[in-house]
Amino acid sequence: MPHRRTFLVLTAATLVPTAGWLARPAHAQSAAQHATTFVRGVGEQLVAVVNGTQPDAQKRAELTRIIDGAVDVDGVARFCLGRFWRNASSQQQQNYMTLFHQVLVNNITSKLGDYRGVSFIMGKADMRDENAVVSTVVNRPNNPPTNVDWIVANPTAGPKIIDVVAEGTSLRLTQRQDYASYLSHNNDNIDALINAMRQQVAQAG
Amino acid sequence: MRVAIPRHFLLVAALLLGNLVGCATPPPASDPDAVADFNETNDPLEPTNRVMYSIDNGLDTVLLEPVARAYRFIFPQPVRAGIHNVLSNLGTPVQLSNDMLSGKPRRAGDTTMRFLINTTVGVVGIFDVAKGWGYPDHDSDFGITMALWGVPEGPFLFLPVFGPSDPRDAIGLGIDSAMDPFNWVGQGTAVRALDWSRFGISAVDQRERHLDDIENTKKTALDPYATFRSLYRQHRRSIIETARNDNRATIPVWFPLSGAPEGVSYTPAGASNH
Repeated sequence: MPHRRTFLVLTAATLVPTAGWLARPAHAQSAAQHATTFVRGVGEQLVAVVNGTQPDAQKRAELTRIIDGAVDVDGVARFCLGRFWRNASSQQQQNYMTLFHQVLVNNITSKLGDYRGVSFIMGKADMRDENAVVSTVVNRPNNPPTNVDWIVANPTAGPKIIDVVAEGTSLRLTQRQDYASYLSHNNDNIDALINAMRQQVAQAG
Repeated sequence: MRVAIPRHFLLVAALLLGNLVGCATPPPASDPDAVADFNETNDPLEPTNRVMYSIDNGLDTVLLEPVARAYRFIFPQPVRAGIHNVLSNLGTPVQLSNDMLSGKPRRAGDTTMRFLINTTVGVVGIFDVAKGWGYPDHDSDFGITMALWGVPEGPFLFLPVFGPSDPRDAIGLGIDSAMDPFNWVGQGTAVRALDWSRFGISAVDQRERHLDDIENTKKTALDPYATFRSLYRQHRRSIIETARNDNRATIPVWFPLSGAPEGVSYTPAGASNH
C-alpha cells in the first residue's frame, strides 16, 4: 500500500505541474522561475547571515545591505503611508523615508536571536497580475512552520521584493493599517508619526 | 485548531461584553478619504474593543504568557508538538462536521483519514503520521463554514478572553462548542474537570505557538490593537479563501490522480493539451 501511494503521488507530482505548464503562456512561466531563483538566492543569503557566527553589529550591516538590494524599501514605505504620503511636505517625506529604512532593519535585526537556526523550503511560484508570488515554508526554532509568500515585482528585469505575506497576513498592509490607526488617533499629524518612529529607532539603539 | 470551550463560558462572555458598549465617532463627511478609511476599518465599537483589548492584554501578561513561557521551558519541542497533535485529534468531530457543512468532501475525507491514521498508527494522536501520508491538516470551524455560506464578516469585535473576532466568528465559536460531543457526555466533577483541563491546555498550547510573533508585534507596532485587528482579519480571510478554493474533485481512491497533494486541483490533462 505505501508503495502504491508513493507511485500515485509521484505520478501526480509529474502530471499536475506539466498540465499547469502547458496551460500557461511561456513568458509567465519564465517570470515565475526568475522570481523563484531570486527568492531562493535572497533567502539563502539571509539564512547564512542569521545563522552565522559573526558579531551582531556585522550581521546588522550585512542584513541592511541584503535588504536594500533585494527589497523595494522606498515603494513599501510609500505604500505604508497610504493617502498621507500625498499630504506630506517633501521634508516630511524625506524624514519618513529615512526612518522607515531604519525601522525596517531594526524590526528584522531585533529578531536575530529568535531566528537563529532558521531554515526554509521553496514551494510553488505563480504570477499574480504583474507580480510573482513565490511560496516558501519557513521553519524557526520553537515555532510551528510558517507559510510565507514573497511578492516579487519585475521578476525578469530587476526583481524586487515588494511584500512578504506570512500565513495570509501582508507585512506592508499590516504596517499601513498600524500607521493609519496611529495617525487617526493623532489628528492625522504626520510629524507625530515621524516622532514616534524616531523614538522607536532610538529605543532599538 | 481553535480552543475548545466548556459549556456556559460563552454566556458569561456575552454578559461581560454587553455591559460595556461604546461607539466610535465617524469622521465628518467633508473628508471622504477619512470616511473611506473609517468604513474600511469597520470597527464601530472601537472604544469598547480597546477596553477589552487592554483587559485581555493585562490578563495575558500576568497569567497566560508566563504559563506559556514556563510550558515552553519545561517541555521540549517534540513533547509540545505531541500535545498539540492530541488536542488537534480531539477536535476531529467539530472539524469533520464543518468540512461536511461547508460542502468540502475532500476535506472531510482528509479529516477522517487523519483521525483513523493518527489515532492508531499515530498512538492516540500524538504523532501526525497522516500528514506525511498525504493528508495534511487544514483549518475548519463554523466561522469558516458560515463564510462559505455567504454570511458576511461584520464589524470587528474584541472578545474577553478569546481576543480578536467578529460576530460571525463569535457565533461560530458558540456553535462549534455546541457541536463538540465532548460537551455532551456525562456530568459531574470528573467530566467538568476534564473539560476545563482541555480548555486550559488548548489555551496554553495556542499561546505558546504564538509567543514570538505576539511579542514581536507588541514591540514593533505603534498601535498594537490596530495591528492585531489587521492581522486577525487578514489571517481569517486567507484561511477562508484557502477553503473556498479547495475544490479538489471527489474521485475514487484507485484513480491515478487521487494522490495529488492538498491545494493542487485536478486538471484533466486533455483540457490543457492544446
